[in-house]
Parts: sequence; C-alpha cells; structure tokens
Amino acid sequence: MAGSDARTGTPPSTRRQALVDAFRYRRQALTERLPELPGVAYVFLLPFFVLFAVFLLFPILYTIYLSFFTFQGVGGTTVFAIDLGFFYFPVQTISNLEFVGLRNYERLLTDRQFHNAMYNTVFILLFQVPLMITIALGLAVALDASFVRLRGLWRTTLALPISANLVAYATVFVLLMQEQGLVNYALGLVGIGPIPWFTSEFWSRFTIVGAVTWRWTGYNMIILLAGLQNVPQQLYEAAEIDGANRLEKFRYVTLPQLRPVLLFVAVTSTIGTFKLFSEPLIVSDAGAPLSATRTIVQYIYETAFIDFRLGYASALTWVLIAIVSALSVFQIKALGGDDGA
Amino acid sequence: MATIQIDSLRKEFENDEAGSIVAVEDVDLTVEDGEFLVLVGPSGCGKTTTLRCVAGLEDVTSGAIRFGDRDVTDLQAREREVAMVFQNYALYPHMNVRKNLGFGLKLSSGLSSAGIRERVDDVAEMLGIGDLLGKKPKELSGGQQQRVALGRAIIREPAVFLMDEPLSNLDAKLRAEMRTELQELQHELGVTTMYVTHDQTEAMAMGHRIAVMNDGTLQQVGTPEAVYRSPTNEFVANFIGSPSINLLTADVDGGTLTGPAGFEYALEDATPVAGHDRVRVGIRPEDIRPVNADGNEAEASVVEPMGNENFLYMGMGDLELTARIANDLRPAPGETVRFEVDEAALYLFDVATGEALKTMTDETDVAVGEYTTTGGE
Amino acid sequence: MREAQREFAWKVLTYAVLLVATLVTIVPLYWILVAMTLPESAFLSTATEPRLLPGGHFAENFAALQGRVDVAILGVERVLGFELGFLGAIGNSILIATVYTSLSILLCSMAGFAFAKYEFEFKEPIFYSILATLVLPIQLLVIPLFLLMSRLGMTNTYWAIILPWAANPLGIFLMRQNMKSIPDALLESARMDGATEFQVFYRVALPTMKSSLAALSIILFLFQWNLFLFPLVILGQDKYTIPVAISDLIGAQRVYYDQIMVAAGLSIVPIFLLFLFLQKYFVSGILAGSVKE
Repeated sequence: MAGSDARTGTPPSTRRQALVDAFRYRRQALTERLPELPGVAYVFLLPFFVLFAVFLLFPILYTIYLSFFTFQGVGGTTVFAIDLGFFYFPVQTISNLEFVGLRNYERLLTDRQFHNAMYNTVFILLFQVPLMITIALGLAVALDASFVRLRGLWRTTLALPISANLVAYATVFVLLMQEQGLVNYALGLVGIGPIPWFTSEFWSRFTIVGAVTWRWTGYNMIILLAGLQNVPQQLYEAAEIDGANRLEKFRYVTLPQLRPVLLFVAVTSTIGTFKLFSEPLIVSDAGAPLSATRTIVQYIYETAFIDFRLGYASALTWVLIAIVSALSVFQIKALGGDDGA
Repeated sequence: MATIQIDSLRKEFENDEAGSIVAVEDVDLTVEDGEFLVLVGPSGCGKTTTLRCVAGLEDVTSGAIRFGDRDVTDLQAREREVAMVFQNYALYPHMNVRKNLGFGLKLSSGLSSAGIRERVDDVAEMLGIGDLLGKKPKELSGGQQQRVALGRAIIREPAVFLMDEPLSNLDAKLRAEMRTELQELQHELGVTTMYVTHDQTEAMAMGHRIAVMNDGTLQQVGTPEAVYRSPTNEFVANFIGSPSINLLTADVDGGTLTGPAGFEYALEDATPVAGHDRVRVGIRPEDIRPVNADGNEAEASVVEPMGNENFLYMGMGDLELTARIANDLRPAPGETVRFEVDEAALYLFDVATGEALKTMTDETDVAVGEYTTTGGE
Repeated sequence: MREAQREFAWKVLTYAVLLVATLVTIVPLYWILVAMTLPESAFLSTATEPRLLPGGHFAENFAALQGRVDVAILGVERVLGFELGFLGAIGNSILIATVYTSLSILLCSMAGFAFAKYEFEFKEPIFYSILATLVLPIQLLVIPLFLLMSRLGMTNTYWAIILPWAANPLGIFLMRQNMKSIPDALLESARMDGATEFQVFYRVALPTMKSSLAALSIILFLFQWNLFLFPLVILGQDKYTIPVAISDLIGAQRVYYDQIMVAAGLSIVPIFLLFLFLQKYFVSGILAGSVKE
C-alpha cells in the first residue's frame, strides 16, 4: 500500500521517512561492522583524559617540579605581561633553574608573610563561611514556608548576584563602599558611621567577607532550598504529633535531613574561600592594608608574578592544596557521619 | 522459537575482601521449546544471576548457553534475540509509549518507519494499551507500565522471553490478574520463557515446570506437582508450599520415630529409615488431622480464620506446628489438641544431607468424576 | 487566638527576612542600572545626596564605551562593515562560554557515565585524584599554562581558554553522582533492545539527565564567563572577553567609571537570561550531586 503511494504522488512526509529509514539502515550496517571494543569504559574516558592530562595534570606536575628549584636571574625577554591598570607585571622567560631540594618547603616555615596570609585567609573563612551558610539556610527556610507566594521570583532575585560579572562587581563594590559611598550614606541615615571599609585593618577584612557573602549566598540558598523541599513531609507531621514546636522541628528534622546538602555547601564554600583572589586584590587596590587582607592565593600570585620566585610559589601552591584537601576530608568526616561520600 | 540449554553454568563475582563469590554453580537446565519455566528460590540464591547470564547481561565464568543449536555464550545481549521484562519495568522515561515500544525495532530491525508504526499499533492493540501510545511512562499506572514493558518484549518477536520478577511491584489483585494474562499471552505466542520469582505461589501457579535454586545450585526441576509432592530434599520441601511444611528431628528406633516434647510416630513401613539413627520428619500443614483420642498432643496458641479454613498454630514444647483445619474448628488458646498424620503423607529426610528418604505416596490421579463420588468422606 | 497571632507574627517575620535580603541583593545591581544612565560626576560625587533614579545619560556613556573599547569577533565586524566596540566582547564571551560549555558537558558526561556505570581498574583512585584538583586555584596555573600554550602555538586563540578547563573536575563529579541514579535495568533494557554502548549512553542515559545537564551548563558557563586572569594574558584585543574588556577601562591614570557601569549592566543581561531559563533545572540537577552517596 505504501509502495503504490510512492509511485503516484509521494507525500513529502513519506519521502522524508524513507530518507530517515535509509539513513537508519546505513547506521545499523555500520554498527554491525564495528569491532567489539574490549574496554568501553576507557573509550568514554579517553577524551576527558586527554584534555585533563595535557592541560591540568601537566601544569600541576610542572609546579611540583618547579617547587624543588630556585630561580636564578631573569631571562632577557618578556614572555607575557599582566596589565591590571594599577599593576603591570611583565613575566620573563625562565632561566637558570637551580635544584634546591626541599629548601622551598623549609622556607615557608619561617616566612612571616606566608603566615600572615594564612592568618588572613583563615580569619575571613571563619567569618564568611558560617555567616553565609547561616543566612542562606535562614532564607531557604523562609522561602520553604508553605505560605510564601511567588517563591520562584524571590529565588531568582536572591540568586541574581552570581550573574554579575566578577570584574564589574568588584569595581561597583569599591564605589559603593568608599568612605563617602552609598553604603556609608545609608548607614549615616540611621546614625552609624562613616565606616572606613577599606582603610581600616579591622573593617577591610569584613569588606571582603561582605562582598563574598553578597555574591554567593543566593547560590547556596538555592541548593539548600532544593534540599529542604526533598525532606519528606511525613517527618514534619510525625514530629508535630510528637509535640515538637517550630524550633524543635528544625533541630530534629530539618537539620539531620539536610546534612548531606549542608556538607556539600560547606565543603564547596570552604574551598571557594581558600581560593579567594579577586576580592582581596581589588580591596588592596582600593587602599586596604595588605597585612590585613592579603590572602594565600594573592600571596602566591605576588610571589610568582612580582617577585618572580616561581619555585617558592610552586611550593606554596602545594602546601595550599594539601591544607584544603585535608580540611575537606575533615569536614566530610566530621559532618558526613555514616552516609558521607 | 528455541530451546534454552544451559550446560554447567558457573558464575563468580570478584570481591575485594573475600576473593571471589560463587553466585551460580554448575547449573544444568534445559527449557523446552515453548515452555514456561519458572526459576524460584530465596533471595540471593542465584536465580536472577542465572537469568542475567542467559540474557547476556553477565559474562559466564564457565559453562555454555545455547538457544536451539546456536551457541550464544559469547554473544552480547544485543545479539542474542532475547527480550527481557525487568522488575521495575525499566521503561525509558523520556520516550512516550510508542517510542518505548518501537525503540528496539528502530535500533536493530530492518523494518521501515511505517512498518514499525504498524507493529507498535498491533502490539498495543493486543495488550489493550492502544490509547496510551502518546503518554510518557510516568503518566501511567503500575499495571499500564507493566503492559508496556511486556509489549516492548513481545514486539521484537524474540526467540526467548526472560522475566525478572515482573509482577512483584503490582498490588495483590492486579498481580493475580496479570498472572493469568501472562500465561495466556505466553501460550498464544508460544515463546520459550524463563521466569524468575521468589514467590513460590506464583511459581506453582504459572510454571509448566519449576526449577528450584538455593545457594547457587539447582535443587530440583519438575512440574509444580512433582516439586510439591516429591521434593528431592528438605530445602525444596520447606520452600515450596504455603504455609510451609512442619519439620522436626526425630530419633529412629526400629519403626518408631521419637521427636522432641513427646512426639511419637510408628511407621508401618520402616524401610525408608533403615540404617538411620535420626531423621528429619516433614508434615504438611494440611496433613495434620485433629482427632479426639490417641495421636500426639499439642497446645493451641493462635487460630487465624481464613474464611474457608483456619490456620492453627500450636506448640509441642519448643516446637511450633502449623495446621490447616476446617473452618468450624477453633480451639481456644491453651487448649490441648490431639492430631494424627497419615503415613502416606509423611516426608522423611536424611539429617545430614537433607536428601529425601520418603515423600508423598498416596494417589494423585483422581478423575473429577471419581472425586465427586468418593471424595466426600 | 494566641496561636493565630503567633502564626501571623511568624509570617511577618518571614517576609521581613526575605525583603531585607532581597533589598541588600538588589541595591548594588540597581545602582549599576542607575549609574549607567548618569554622567560620571553625578554618581561619583560624594558631596551631594546619591541619585536613586535613572538619568538620561545612557546614550553618551554607551557611545563613550564603544569609542574606547573595540573588540573584534570572528571577523564579523568586517562582514557588517562597522565596529562592534564593547558588543564584540559580549559576543566573544558568549561564543567562548557556549563552545566551552558544550565541549565540557560532552566530555564530563561521557567520563561521568564511565565512572558511574562501568567497572574498571583503579576506578576509585582515578576518580578521587581528579576530584582533588578541585581545590587547585586556577590562577596559579597561569604560568605553566601560558608556557604550554606558547609551545602549542595556541596563544591568542579561542581554544587557549576553552581547552584547559574543558575536562572539569566539578563537572565529572556532578555527572557521576547523577548518572549513578540511573537504574541499571534501564541501560540493560536498552542493550537488550539492541543498542550499542554508545547508543545506550546518548539515547538513554543522556536524555534522562536533562536537569543535571542544565545545572552543569549554568555552572560551566558562569565559570568560563568569569575567567579573567588567563584570558587577560593570552588573548589579544581582537578576542577580548567581557572581564578583560572591562579591565581595559581601568587605566593606570584614570578609571572610566561611567563606561564600566554600562559594560557591567550590559554584561549581566545574557547570563541573567540563561539563568532565568535554566534555573528550574538547576535546582534538581545540582541537588542530586550533593545528596547522593
């Protein structure tokens, strides 16, 4: 029946179908002829691993290699330059590497600046991560309340900061938090301030805490909110029957159920804060005392690009990686309990 | 259509701590052309692994699998012309019913698109799901999903059907309905079928033959009746039948069996226990016959009325016995119940090996006509 | 009565919390919108009260921005016959982030599938080694990567900033976690239906992963969108991305705040749209990754 149609006036859909079928047969024939691959898993992994090995693993191993060397003198030519307006760093060719064994690692035991950067980072971390998670959790719980209308709108709005471009947002923050910027103006209206957000050793750290929190709270709130919505309603009902009040329900139902999500948020936020770079850099540009705001990554960056001590910078990088990995494992062990990944 | 022939199948799984675990050991099994064979056993007995080996989803460690005269041992699942229905149906969630049904044809048949369409319509018609073709799996009820899963299996006209607990996710009523429907369908299509279940009632109801497995080995293969009446060992006797058989250990003294808590039984024919000091005694719940005098004594504990009959649970010392008794008989808890058992209905097993020494010996072939006249006593 | 009052107080508190948080979130963004329509002096001046409503200076600021920054993209400006200015940077950012996201999604989902659904030697050690590179601050790879790119002759190419992070550790982590939740029976059923392993992957596994893919898309897109240091050193003016183009406005002598505001405002638009369309998937997609196992 289909055949006789084809001779007379083939409707375009049939002709298209015939074409599709022809293509399908060709592919089937091809599939039949393909040899059986013994390690399918490796075929799936291959493209990832090629890029991973060339562009991530190789540079990482290279920094390990460099961390055992010290750098003697600068080659004549500039390889590339980093032009940040305020800063201009020419990066020169590497020459005369001298093997120093573990001396780079020994040096960081007595490096005051490193200890200071470590202290600043941990200080920021200790305030920023709990603050952000608390706010994010509070907002998520508020949004999860059954009576809240327009949930999607609130959620999108609160998560907007992650769509702000990093460089632009940093610039805007500097403007807003100047001595006589909008933030101090608003605080002045209620009789506070003006607060020296950048110039004070004390406040400049909190400027960083505030900026990072502003940017990432919404993102974490979304994840926590999704976790909240996965908590089975029956658990709340059971708790209610057992006479739990609002706070007890939060303490004995919400928190334990949310633990894996909280863990994810805590680990990723901690890693993120340890990698803090742009915010402290911008804050120092704006006049903050380096001794108060310089973070580890910033210090490594300066060691590598300004002082051009590549070997030492590489050693610092490895110490940072070790610290962050250990901390992540510790968090997973401490918070994760039995079902932690 | 084909026979399935499994020769000395062995399957080991690698395990980091324990070396390797033997899941299936030395299984020989032939499923006849067009037969409905049910593979039954407790969980972890290797029945699903056996099925998956036949499907080609697991590589066998040793042994061979043949469909008809074709050796498929080293073929991949996609080359074996088998279809499988999974416990959770495994419908593709992103495709509607029509695409779910047609997926296999599209990948491996030489049918044109129009041909596939027609086949899908036919199969859907046959299973009564013609009006669901445009829906996604998550919009369907459990029973409808089950039908789609079946349809996906039969549409490819495979040589062999494999089913892995396909009814276990349905509610009791629907399950009973689908049981019959599946049997009719299989009969109609005449496709050789291997069906895995842990539910012995389902196995008894559905299989032409039943293969009972335990601990990776095949215990017995036979018709439902043979497996029930003549189990080869204590495990099969215990596993098949609901409520399960009562078992106790008894000392043998000539023709007298003496069990715990005063259980005593005098055998007329002592040949099965000759040479044994102790035996395992098996009594089916329906063979316990309450009597007024003589017999063994037990203490009634619970009566469960089933409507047409009662389940009586009673204790003899530490021993728990179950009896199926007439629905008008309801001993009060604590009351003493005397019972007897016909020797023909007695099962005896070797204490050490569990092997059967004696199974049911009464008549089984009673014609319907005969039954109505003599069966009333 | 008391109960009802308490309930009401709780509602008020909840909305108050949301409102304050939203205000704090919105104000800086709103301020960008206002500032981009004002002359620099109006929003920079500290003497007068801050302006809270948009002015009429957008066209001038935009023109100034277009005049200062000129970014090319794939020779499109030659075809069109006029210069694209800052819009070229937006185009480059979108182009690079899109290609990067597609490539990375493909690699990560394939590898994640292998880690989730196949057994092979050293699977766990390999996976956790990849995951460990998550803690690495990418700024620190700039030097070795630059040297590598020069060797490969890839400086000032789009590939130079697409390839290094295409094998993304977070991506493989999320895909593995999510793909673990695909029932094995689904894949086996496809195998029995005659699918090859690759067909099992792209016809069955991938389509069931839509929300995870959407979530990962957002994460990868944002990651590439915000890359700054490496594009800065490796891209020439004809391939500038948004962050690099904006940093061009921060000169050693003078910072062009009015133009930065316009650039910042414009650059939010594409990412905002992406987020708006995909965020409903974002939630469920990322969640599976954090909860499972």
